[in-house]
Amino acid sequence: MSLPDRTITILVAALGGEGGGVMADWLIEAAAQSGFPAQSTSIPGVAQRTGATTYYLEIYAAKRDQLGGREPVMSLTPSPGNVDVMVASELVEAARAMQNGYVSPDRTTLIASTHRIYATMEKMQMGDGRFDSDRATNAAKQLAKHAALFDMRELAQANGTVINAVLFGAMAGSGALPLAREACEAAIRKGGRGAEASLRGFAAGFEIAAGTHATPEPAAKRLPPVMQEILDLGVARLKDYQGEAYANLFMQRVRSLGTNDAKLVGETARHLAVWMSYEDIIRVADLKTRASRFERVRQEAGAKPGEPVVVIDYLKPGVEELASLLPPSMGRSLVSWAEKNGKLDAYNIGMHVKTSGMFGFLMTRSLAWLKPWRPHSYRYAEEQQLIERWLGHVRDAAKRSVPLALEIAECARIMKGYGDTHRRGKANFLAIMDALMENPATADPDEQAKSIRKAREAALADPEGKALSADLGRPADASKPVIWLSKST
Amino acid sequence: MERQFTEEIRSLRLGEGETFHGEGILAVTKALLQSGVSYVGGYQGAPVSHLLDVMVQAREYMDELGVHVEACTNEASAAAMLGASINYPVRGAVTWKSIVGTNVASDALSYLSTAGVMGGAMIIAGEDYGEGASVALERTHAVAMKSSLWMFDPRPNLPSIVRAVEKGFELSEASNSPVIVDLRIRACHVHGHFRATSNRPAAMSKRHPAQGPAPFNYDRLSHPPATFRQEKLKAEVRLPAARRFVAEHKLNEVFPGDLDDIGIIVQGGLYNNLLRSLSMLGAAELFGASRVPILALNVVYPLVPEEIVGFCAAKRAVIVLEEGQPEFIEQEIATILRRQDVQTRLHGKDLMLMAGEYSAEVLVGGLAKFLAQHAPQFDTSGGAKWLAKVADTRKRATELLGGLPPRPPGFCIGCPERPVFAALKLAERDTGRPHISGDIGCHAFATFEPFSMGNSILGYGMSLASSAGVGPMMAGRPLAIMGDGGFWHNGLLSGVASNMLNKGDAVLVVMKNGYASATGTQELISSPPKEARDSTGASASHADRTIENALSGLGVGWVKTVHTYHVAEMQRTLTEALTTDYKGLKVIVADGECQLERQRRVKPENARKLSAGERLVKVKYGVDEDTCTGDHSCIRLSGCPTLTVKDNPDPLRTDPVATVIDGCVGCGLCGENAHAATLCPSFYRAEVIQNPNAWDRLASGVRDSFKGLFA
Repeated sequence: MSLPDRTITILVAALGGEGGGVMADWLIEAAAQSGFPAQSTSIPGVAQRTGATTYYLEIYAAKRDQLGGREPVMSLTPSPGNVDVMVASELVEAARAMQNGYVSPDRTTLIASTHRIYATMEKMQMGDGRFDSDRATNAAKQLAKHAALFDMRELAQANGTVINAVLFGAMAGSGALPLAREACEAAIRKGGRGAEASLRGFAAGFEIAAGTHATPEPAAKRLPPVMQEILDLGVARLKDYQGEAYANLFMQRVRSLGTNDAKLVGETARHLAVWMSYEDIIRVADLKTRASRFERVRQEAGAKPGEPVVVIDYLKPGVEELASLLPPSMGRSLVSWAEKNGKLDAYNIGMHVKTSGMFGFLMTRSLAWLKPWRPHSYRYAEEQQLIERWLGHVRDAAKRSVPLALEIAECARIMKGYGDTHRRGKANFLAIMDALMENPATADPDEQAKSIRKAREAALADPEGKALSADLGRPADASKPVIWLSKST
Repeated sequence: MERQFTEEIRSLRLGEGETFHGEGILAVTKALLQSGVSYVGGYQGAPVSHLLDVMVQAREYMDELGVHVEACTNEASAAAMLGASINYPVRGAVTWKSIVGTNVASDALSYLSTAGVMGGAMIIAGEDYGEGASVALERTHAVAMKSSLWMFDPRPNLPSIVRAVEKGFELSEASNSPVIVDLRIRACHVHGHFRATSNRPAAMSKRHPAQGPAPFNYDRLSHPPATFRQEKLKAEVRLPAARRFVAEHKLNEVFPGDLDDIGIIVQGGLYNNLLRSLSMLGAAELFGASRVPILALNVVYPLVPEEIVGFCAAKRAVIVLEEGQPEFIEQEIATILRRQDVQTRLHGKDLMLMAGEYSAEVLVGGLAKFLAQHAPQFDTSGGAKWLAKVADTRKRATELLGGLPPRPPGFCIGCPERPVFAALKLAERDTGRPHISGDIGCHAFATFEPFSMGNSILGYGMSLASSAGVGPMMAGRPLAIMGDGGFWHNGLLSGVASNMLNKGDAVLVVMKNGYASATGTQELISSPPKEARDSTGASASHADRTIENALSGLGVGWVKTVHTYHVAEMQRTLTEALTTDYKGLKVIVADGECQLERQRRVKPENARKLSAGERLVKVKYGVDEDTCTGDHSCIRLSGCPTLTVKDNPDPLRTDPVATVIDGCVGCGLCGENAHAATLCPSFYRAEVIQNPNAWDRLASGVRDSFKGLFA
């Protein structure tokens, strides 16, 4: 019998705590069960602390007793173009493997879970900094000889096990391993603790990769709502927020745009509805004391039926929150006094409110009962004024150019958050409004739209406002964070 | 300790003829026992932590064998431990991560090698170079050369590694010199097997102690005038003896090939990658047969001139494959060949990269050039095609994918050090950004997003010392950050004592998490006492005051211990330290137990309670998705892996909202941050009462009916 002239190479890209080391042990054991020489290495290092890490294995698919005492010389490092099975426990790690050249069309079976674990860089953005998953799955389909892509984390959870078991099953099921299913299962059994759950996870992964079970359909993506839906949602939201009249005001404002462009009307209405339902203390108190909220917390906390759940809210109202409830003139003087004396954040009272308890609930709920007072409050007056000003710019721009009006409408997105974050967002918004909407450097609507988009993106990407300052031609803080370079660059 | 080595400890007991299965560094551990060591020491660090960890856990068996195991406080103390082999015929080994550990140890190493050893003295160095390296990239080889330490770089398979250890002791004794066995990261973690032999209890050990000290012998002191003679001995006796031993025992290996007018000289540790590269070029097959002759140097220092000349003399050209810079081996070979007037063309770094790991891709590139020049009849187009294909695949991938978000390592879920940097980020709003001297340890993760903090890193425990020159020329005070590992490793002396002596005005934050966490949560002198760890699930690090006592013992007048999760208090303390009128060193002891260690006790205990039906309160934090506006300022203050984002459930909003996913250990930082930074009211703490008692159920029922009245 002729011997194979090369080893089967397996590269595993995992994140800390996913049991990558255990999976490497299973593979070595399964190879041993089959009588095949095998070797594994890894780079754990500090990567065990939540970072990306890799395991590399080679298996020689011939019985050791046929080798006449010879030992195959196996490599300790993976080389691009020479990987038979690329395993990634997360989608961007699969993408990273592709970018490093470890997935080649003539050789590599790619086994990857499609779920995402967002990197800090993605989630710390003010807006949406998430990597587009479709790019990764699309690349996988083009670059791999064969790709098994599905949400293995979900499958692991459903089977009460860790993702490594599902990944191992998918590897075995894909047919790319020279190991029989029985050998793999025996290896898991030998591992002992948690073997039953691991075997369930293994089977689930195996059957999908082998094609005996269908790939679970990913949850259908929600389509962005179209204009009419937005208007309906807006009306319902604002009715709930402040009643019929306020919802009518919303529709009035939408109609005042005086345009029929569905996209512009839709987008402006979307931002308008969100803005008009701004999160003041009354709104927060209302949302926090709804029955639906307590039910959601139970679910998120993983409480089983019959298990009581205590909910403690972290609230820290201060000068602004108080001012927002006062009549406009009083509120205005309080805020301007606080601003002048640097006292905006000086008197916040940190509270741990047990909202699930009777006292905490009553206290919070009573704030929600101030709803009828809201239209007489300082914050209400401020918000409505700024809304009108913004809406005016959208309206004026719509007459010149719809894309420009869209960019202006979109700027409402900058103002979010609470306290200091909200103040900074609002300052950025006002700066853009002042520099690029009210005093634009160009009369060309396309140029103006471009400058607004750029400034908005800068404000969202960099909430401390360094990039934005530079964009608006203001001196920026020179300090720039050191960006961590990936190995591939 | 982070890992349990029950299985591994069993395999340390294997006897003659049995097969050992396991990773490289544990094979080394077994080889030490087979070599009859009397003592073992070292300082932990990837990739050699497991050697010491497994021995510490196997203390009982080590006692049985009479092996003394010492977890040293730094590499200098480990190196000095080898001094036992100067006067007594005992074998000993120490281990550390290199180059850093070797640097710290080098003072003692100079004296050790100058005095010379009677019993075998060995250093197991984990060469932290290339992918996965976490330290400055330099070669241990330089230290071996300057201190006359013989250095093994064995082929990366378990039998070769084990042979290097066993022969290493013999070499050390034959030449009266200490020996380094240098292992690359992947070699430490390679999983393989070898035929074991029985462990050998030492003739002289703690089970069979000496009856009295060695007689006074001035020649064993590294002290003038003996040092002058010792220097001569190094060159005239020990080096030749070492060369003789290497040659006689054939420690280096020649693999013949039919293209015998050329050759490759390679560090043993690179042999497997070389074979793979040659096979990509069509010049080797899987079982080691190569068309180009190979001299694999399992001993890279010293070289044996006769072996080099013997390999090169009849060849037109050779290439030296040697990782890292500068090219010490190539230079030595050049000298050897030139002195003997051997005219063989010598290649090395002229065709290879000076810096960086020798991956198959790098090797194929260099070897293809070598072969094209000296064996033009040999077809290397397979290699070129492969390289072109790889480049093309990468290009296509980049086109399809664009830029990817990097994923550096970071603080664990619930890490007690994260809150310190959140507090510092908040304090900076008032004080301005101070110059921050970083250090080695988990806290160095603060250099990554979302904190991006730190101006310099000068080594383990060096942060305070490295701010000594900065402080005087800075308007504001510099801030030094150090872990408790670094504090005991050398920060106390080179930082604190020096600052006190010089009446410095710096600020030091010591992360008191209770363990040397980054290397695998090894014990420190200030680790919490057993009782504190046995009691409840609370942080146990406060139960030890050794750090505070040491500081007050040195006369530090401004020491404040703050529990790290109290973000607002930490923020106030940082601000105070940076702005107070107090002149002199100010130390903030940031107290909070390493979450990995804490969870190691909490998890099994909770599982037990749960299955025994005992009442258990599970804490998880969460974000209300309808009050979260998706600004992610909470994430910019935390970076916790379980505080992440999800699609906005509100159809009118597009930006993702924050969410806390499974895995949250309930450390409470999100809530503390929300308070300290006045972030937002969206955070809540949910306490799920598992196995509730009658009172819980009654109270919960009453509360629910009450709330029902307002629904």
